[in-house]
Amino acid sequence: MKILIVEDDPTLREELSTLLRSAGCEPLPVTDFTRTLDCMRQADADLILLDITLPGMDGEALLREYRRSADTPVIMLTSRTSEVDEVLSMSAGADDYVSKPYRPAVLLLRISAVLKRASGTGEVLRYRDAELSPTRGSLIRAGQEVVLTKNEMIVFRTLLARRGEIVSRDELMTALWDNDEYVNDNALTVNVSRLRSKLADFGWPDAVETRKKQGYVLL
Amino acid sequence: MTARAFLRDRLPAILIRAFAHLLTVIFLLAFRIPHQALAAAILLPLCGAVPAELWEYRRRKRFYDRLKNNAEGLERKYLLSETLPDPDFAEGRILKETLRDAGKSMAEEAAECRRDADAFREYIELWVHEIKLPLAAMRLLCYNGGCGRCGEQMNRMDDCVENVLFYARSGSPEKDYVIGPVSLKRVFSDAAQRHREELQSRGVSIRTEGLDTAVYTDAKWLAWILGQLMSNSMKYFSPEKDREPQIIVSAEELPDRTVLRFRDNGIGIPARDLPYIFEKSFTGQNGRARPGSTGMGLYVAKKLCARLGHGMEAESEEGKYTEIRLLFGKSGYTAPLSAENAPRDPNLSEM
Repeated sequence: MKILIVEDDPTLREELSTLLRSAGCEPLPVTDFTRTLDCMRQADADLILLDITLPGMDGEALLREYRRSADTPVIMLTSRTSEVDEVLSMSAGADDYVSKPYRPAVLLLRISAVLKRASGTGEVLRYRDAELSPTRGSLIRAGQEVVLTKNEMIVFRTLLARRGEIVSRDELMTALWDNDEYVNDNALTVNVSRLRSKLADFGWPDAVETRKKQGYVLL
Repeated sequence: MTARAFLRDRLPAILIRAFAHLLTVIFLLAFRIPHQALAAAILLPLCGAVPAELWEYRRRKRFYDRLKNNAEGLERKYLLSETLPDPDFAEGRILKETLRDAGKSMAEEAAECRRDADAFREYIELWVHEIKLPLAAMRLLCYNGGCGRCGEQMNRMDDCVENVLFYARSGSPEKDYVIGPVSLKRVFSDAAQRHREELQSRGVSIRTEGLDTAVYTDAKWLAWILGQLMSNSMKYFSPEKDREPQIIVSAEELPDRTVLRFRDNGIGIPARDLPYIFEKSFTGQNGRARPGSTGMGLYVAKKLCARLGHGMEAESEEGKYTEIRLLFGKSGYTAPLSAENAPRDPNLSEM
């Protein structure tokens, strides 16, 4: 997944690159702000992170110009503190916005949400030979069905989207809280262990692995 | 101006005149003039003096009564000189001119203060905007470096910075908010996410009810207000081990308004403190017993609410709960929900 970073603050740019790389994306930082628009057009990125205050042309004008010829998803990074900015950036054609100083986990979540929306929602989620049905809230395999609660579903989908990688408890929490499930630490542990035992019913007792002090991995 | 006050004022002049009169009478007596002539000499000057004093009294009374009346009716008393007619006596003219000069100088002073305050506020906004860059960079550094504890401190710094911004905004006469339909769910989620680490580390459980509704407000301001309520709740949770800290947020739609209830099961507010909790720098019994209470949070929150046109009221039972209600009108004015529970006007309650 290639993500173009248009951010003029060098430290922020570097750290954003590190963040995206560790999340398994390929960051493409823009460094020449005299021809930002050309960079955006030529980059062939899957998503663009666009700062709203840039030297020369500001992010919003840039986006309006860019939207004439391309529809790559764009997330605006706003740092002005007024509400107006966000309204403007959405009307300029941004897919979402995150205001600085953003929480890294929230930024990653918004990125994956925008990408998911852009790629179309019609895809069927599969895990091994089972099918995940978000509408029924259950996992189905050849006549067998296990109903997951909303929380278990959120946890499972977050793990599934990054299958084989370590997903930290913090990221799971962010996903849950982003879906209005304000669970506490204990509740997350309970949800993971319930999910584990439901998966065990399917004959996959070791599907979710715990990595001490790091998080969980869906195998 | 009463006749008595006028007379007292004129007393020296009247006495001097009376003395001169007495001298005249003694002088005339010395000449042994007829009694009728003497009586005329005593009474006739009074025919001049009394109407003259009466006329003087009326003219002054008219001017000063008007001055006093206008001053009482005016909210901005420094505009007084503009409301007066031109007086027809010298003292009055001097007074009016002086008043006008004083008013003018005061208006200039006020304008300068306002300019300074505006400039300062603008600078604060700019500063907040600037400091958010290094904050954002540091937060990423903490995250990438795996330093969770630094991250927590970053969040606290971010909150402090945000508080400065909103305090500056609460006092400004400018309209720097955007009112629009805002989903309570999304705003509450934003506020909760902001305070997530703190809420989690205290093991707070949050329940929401009926937030699937929209109100007309400014999303950022409301998120900050809710954040303030959260950090207040977290400060005053019960230390008892067997009572799990809990926050329940619910919205109720009434015909003319939407009520957002923010309730915690903390230590509550003593009844005698309750009427004052929205006052500046008021910390009360609870605040004195704990560190970190500035008495600013609810004051600024209420001010922001007032600017957005929302009502804000509190209800509490000591040792049991505190409930803060936000009232969003569907058409302008929002009256208090219940008269007896609403925090009374502190000025009235003292009477």
